[in-house]
Amino acid sequence: MAALVASLYKSISYRGAEGQWAWILHRASGLGIVLFLYMHILSIFVAAIGPEPYEWVHKTLYTSPPAKVMEVFLLFGVLYHAANGMRIIIIDFFPALGKYQRTIVRIELALVAIVLVPAAIITLQGLF
Amino acid sequence: MAVTSSSRPVQGKLRYGAPNHEHKIWLFMRLSGLVMFVTVVFHLLYMHMFVRVENITFDNIAERWSGPAGVFWRLFDASLLFIGMAHGMNGVRFSINDYVHNRFLNFLLTAAVYGIGLLLILLGSLAIILGAGGVGRLFESVMG
Repeated sequence: MAALVASLYKSISYRGAEGQWAWILHRASGLGIVLFLYMHILSIFVAAIGPEPYEWVHKTLYTSPPAKVMEVFLLFGVLYHAANGMRIIIIDFFPALGKYQRTIVRIELALVAIVLVPAAIITLQGLF
Repeated sequence: MAVTSSSRPVQGKLRYGAPNHEHKIWLFMRLSGLVMFVTVVFHLLYMHMFVRVENITFDNIAERWSGPAGVFWRLFDASLLFIGMAHGMNGVRFSINDYVHNRFLNFLLTAAVYGIGLLLILLGSLAIILGAGGVGRLFESVMG
């Protein structure tokens, strides 16, 4: 627990710039995706039980306005985790590219934004 | 405290005397990540931008899982379930090892994460094998 508090404090005081924030976002999005997966697998299991319970669970969990906003966070989380994972793999196998890692983070965020913006617009369409 | 790391091993071995299986786990995280870069991103964009969450119904799931193409989609969904949960459970283990240094608490949390993960893999597999409404039908036939 003390390690967690120290890590949180160091996270906001250490000036690691792009690489540090990329790492924090990777961890946060990963843990968030795992929590979503718990809910996702359970709701698909409910679909194996029957139509009525599934339609109720799906409507309750995924179609309300707060759920649509959370859906955008999910889209960002998965797209970011995927893109940043690729950056990690690239730098792991081509360590020489490490000196461009800040630029690579910026390119990666731009690519995430290009996919995320239309996906978020489609997701939030019904709300406005 | 066993040393685990999500970081790149140096010259084929992890630093600080980590056991060699951590090198295999490091490689697994990269390979599963590469596979899921294709499968999960496709699943996410297809479901959220093309099908749309509002249109996912019981009939929609039953239709996707039926017929010869249904075999493909069940295998595809099974790959998402198994690879995704294995990658996710191991990622949570990295986090637990980074923050929880109390041996007993570390063991307890890791056991909980693996227990929940295995249970969900079991439930998800049942859903994929038995199909939409399949668990309900099995329950009814067993109960008479």
